[in-house]
This record gives sequence, structure tokens and C-alpha cells, in this order.
Amino acid sequence: MKPVVEACDLSKHYGSGEAEERVLEKVSLRLSEGEACVLLGPSGSGKTTLLSILGCLLTPSGGELRLLGQPVDFSRASSLPEWRRTTLGFVFQHAQLLPFVPVLGNLHLVGRNAGLDEETLTKRVDALLEQLGLAAMKHKKPGALSGGQRQRVAIARALLHRPAVLLADEPTAALDWHTGQVVADMLVEQSRNSGAALLVVTHDTRLVPKFDRVFHMENGSLREVTTHSS
Amino acid sequence: MFYLTTGIQMMLHNRVRLLLTMLGVAIAFFLVAAQSGLLIGWINTCTAIVRHAEADLWVMAEKAPAFDYGTAIPRQCLSQARSVPGVVWSEGLFIGWNIWHRQDGKRVNVQLVGLDKRCLGGPWQMQEGEVSCVLQPNTVIVDDLYRSALGFERVGQEFEMIGRHARIGGVSSGVRTLSACPFVFTSLKQAIQYDQRYRDDEITYVMARCAADADPVAVQHEMQRRMPRMEVLTTAEFATRTALYWMLETGVGITVVVTACLGLAVSIGITSQTLYAITQEHLSNYATLLALGFRRGTLVRMVLVQSLLLGLAGVLGGSALFFPAAMLSARTPIPLETTPLVYAVLIIVSLASCGVAALMSVRTIFHIDPVKVFHS
Repeated sequence: MKPVVEACDLSKHYGSGEAEERVLEKVSLRLSEGEACVLLGPSGSGKTTLLSILGCLLTPSGGELRLLGQPVDFSRASSLPEWRRTTLGFVFQHAQLLPFVPVLGNLHLVGRNAGLDEETLTKRVDALLEQLGLAAMKHKKPGALSGGQRQRVAIARALLHRPAVLLADEPTAALDWHTGQVVADMLVEQSRNSGAALLVVTHDTRLVPKFDRVFHMENGSLREVTTHSS
Repeated sequence: MFYLTTGIQMMLHNRVRLLLTMLGVAIAFFLVAAQSGLLIGWINTCTAIVRHAEADLWVMAEKAPAFDYGTAIPRQCLSQARSVPGVVWSEGLFIGWNIWHRQDGKRVNVQLVGLDKRCLGGPWQMQEGEVSCVLQPNTVIVDDLYRSALGFERVGQEFEMIGRHARIGGVSSGVRTLSACPFVFTSLKQAIQYDQRYRDDEITYVMARCAADADPVAVQHEMQRRMPRMEVLTTAEFATRTALYWMLETGVGITVVVTACLGLAVSIGITSQTLYAITQEHLSNYATLLALGFRRGTLVRMVLVQSLLLGLAGVLGGSALFFPAAMLSARTPIPLETTPLVYAVLIIVSLASCGVAALMSVRTIFHIDPVKVFHS
């Protein structure tokens, strides 16, 4: 399978001298298309920092990141939104939908920003809402939805522009067990269908069996625990 | 253009706050428009006789500060002015302070204006009678706006000015005064008799009209050369001098301009505070949009759209208050007036001030860290 994420010796330090805090230490990672991976680890181990760097939201102190074979130039801050707009998709812990626009508006806004034409956008939105069981909710504002429904909308939003990489930060943490299972299943299924590489950060080890590969992070170092698919 | 709709939807999220802000900005715009309207109204008022006199040039005693404060000059200036090449006609004009004795015994300070044969410099709108009635003995014209101040009810009533009879021969309309002393028009000859401080061979101003093919400035220079002890001004120069006197020397203009500036500052404050509150309230949403690949420029445009819309709402709301107020004030001694150019400038300044008000919010946008979205 074609690698879509290639991280080589990524590190992140804050401060300098004696006050220096090393959050990431030479982390290397390779994710291929269609792969569903989970990243476990205690709080403060550097999971979110790694996710932020992979999502082109945070500049690493060292190392290299390649997306779709292309190096990400972190020194050119203006190029980073382009990666996020076209290549990356995000699902956040609390969905982070815009509360003042309905479901449809949330999806259209992101689709238009990604440069999708109206016809393509409408088709994709309809298809995703149908697949995620949200067709009846499209005119409702996020405040009128349950936590699980909001997270499904967030998944639709993340997949709308067909990103090569889907990054999810604790997507089930704010949901009850059953809803969390449903959302995690949808996330894995949808990313597989779209061919996106999925990396989910979670504390919930019960979700692990759903993923192809499992990574564990501790004290800024990453190791792969097991590979189900191999 | 999705940032336009998103910006609007973001504002509409809290409708009560939006409504209150629009109200505040509208009142602030009205305040600015009303102050500028007062200023224009006052400038028009204090220069009205000068502008309506149909003269091109004015001859006066040196350093006359304003139309209302002219002093005596020799009557022979009239013929001197008339003899300057390019002058079609010249007429004298008198202005002086006087006392109007009402029938109930009260006394009112008035500004007496004496008109020459053509009655130029007289009222330009008559409600009753003709302007030429002032040429009849002991006849005056007073303005409808000052009926209660002067205590008159109808044409034909008789009053006194320093022991001399004054019969109302006509009533003008909209001839205001800035000094709070109503204008009373009469003939030049009678005015000098009423005043008693002027000699028969003295007047206050000479008004001169230039021929159509003559250059008024060239005529002005020639007239000035021939009358070196007088001052010769064009109508525009005299109107400007009069307006500057009233606006600057008396402090009236400064007060109005300061109040207008305060209105503008209030508008900036209200808009700025609201935009900042909206931005702060939506910081996590902005962080989400940044994380999703929106450029900061797009988010800045959202804030600017919001500020412009608030500005427009202020202009529309303020105008909805201003124009009826201007109409209502049209028949009062203190009119609110404006011109298309001034109003256009007010709108531009108001919208620009909303842009200024957005600066704090724009600064906030530039400081949002999209990584925040993981810690929300």
C-alpha cells in the first residue's frame, strides 16, 4: 500500500537549557492508505503534540514529515493551511461544529473552502449524510443534536473533501460506551471506504480491536505495539 | 463569498446583542449626523443674507469680523464701486443692533437690516406681502419663525423701535438668525433713522454685481485699489469669514465638532466592544476553522464583514432618525441640514470607524493558535 504519512525523527522541544522540555523524541511513523491506526498512551505523553504536527498545526523542532510523498515545509507557514484544506481531515473530541449554522451549513462551509464545486459538494454531502444516518438532521443546528450525532457530522465534515489522512483526537471520549462504539465503527468504516489513512488518539483500550495497527506513546517516544493486519 | 454568510450567521447567533448593538451604532450615527446637520444649518443661517443677496462683491470697513458686525462706511463708496469697470450695479446695505418694543411692553434685541432701492440682501422667501413694502414709510418685514419672540400676529400691526413706529408690511419665511436676535428688514433710509448712530451719509456695506463677462476677482482687485481704506471681498470670502467667526470665535463650531467627534468615538467604542465580544465568543470556532484549513485572511474578512454590516445598520438606522428630525426642524430657528457630499463623507467616516473598531478583533484572529482546538 502506498504510504501517505511518513514521519521521520520528529521531535518537539519547548524552552531551552535547563528549562527545556522534550515532548517528542525522534518519533518516526509511516501510515499507508486505508490503514486504521490507534495511538494510545497516558496523558502528557505527547500524543496530541504528535497529532498536531502530523496535522500541520504545530511546527516540529526537528525531523521531517512527508504527506503523499511530498515534504511538508513547516518554515512556510502559509503553505500549511493548504495541506489541512486538501490532504488532511480532522475529528475532534467535542466535534467542534459551528453552533450557529445547521448541519448542512457546517458541511458546505468546509466543502467550499476546500474548493469543491456546488454539484460535487451537494452529491458528497447527501451521500455522507445518508451513509452516516444523518439525512433527517441536515437542517438542524448542532445544539439540537445528540453527542453521537454531532460526532457523526464531524466525521462527515472530515471526509467531505476526501482527505488522504484522517486524524481523530479522542473522538469517543465525550460519548457513552455504546455511542462511542458506533462512532468508532463509522470512523473506521468510512476511512477505509475512502481510502484514507486513519490515526485515532484515544484512552479507551476497548476500541483497539477495531484498528489495524496500535501505537503506544510514552514520554515522547513512540512504539508500535502490534499489527493486526500483518 | 461564504465568509459573508458565515460572518452574518455568526452575528445572528446572539440576536438580542446584535439588535442592541445596531441600536447603539444607529444612535451614534444619528448623533454625528445631527451635529454635522446643526453645523451646516448654522453655517447656512449665518451666511444666508450674504449668499442670497445676488452680489459678487462686498465693500466694508476693514476687518469686519462677520456680516452681523459690520461698521459704518461712507455712502460715497457706492458710487466709487459703481464706477469700477465691470460693475453692473451697486447697492448699499445697513445692519445694526436695535430694540423692538413689543405691545406687551417687553423689549427684544433685533438685528435691523436696511435695504436699498432694489431690496437686495432682503428676505428671499415671503409668506405674506412683498419685499418692496419696506420702501414704504415706517414699514418693516419680520420672519414667521419669530412671531412669538417679537409678539406679532398679523401684517399691519404696529410696534416701536427706539421711539419710532414700525408697521409690519410683510412676513418672511425661513430667515433665521444665529445671534438669537431676529432680523427686522426695512429700507436703508429708515434703518439709519432707527439706528441713530449712523449719519445720513453712512451705510454698512456696498454690494456690487459684476457683468457676466467680467472676472469678479479682477474687479475685486481694481475696486480694492480704488478704495484702499475699505476691504473688498467676494461673496464666497465674506460668507467664509462670517461662518468662521461664528464657528470659531464664538466656540459654537468647536462645541458641535467636539460633540460629533464624541459621537464617532461612541460609535467606534460600541462597535469595537461588540465585535470583540463576538470574536472572543467564537474563538474556539475560529480555531476550528483554522485547523480545518481556513486561512486567517478568510477569518479576518468575516470580522470585517461583520463590522461593515454593523456600520451599515448604523447608517440606515441613524438615517431613519436623522431625516425625519431634519424635516421636523426645517421650520424651527435651529434647523438640521445636510448636503449630499457631507452625508456621503459621514457614511464613509462611519464605515471606516467600524473598520477601525474591528482592529482589536482582527488582532485576536492573528493570535489564535489552531492547536487550541485539541484542548477545547
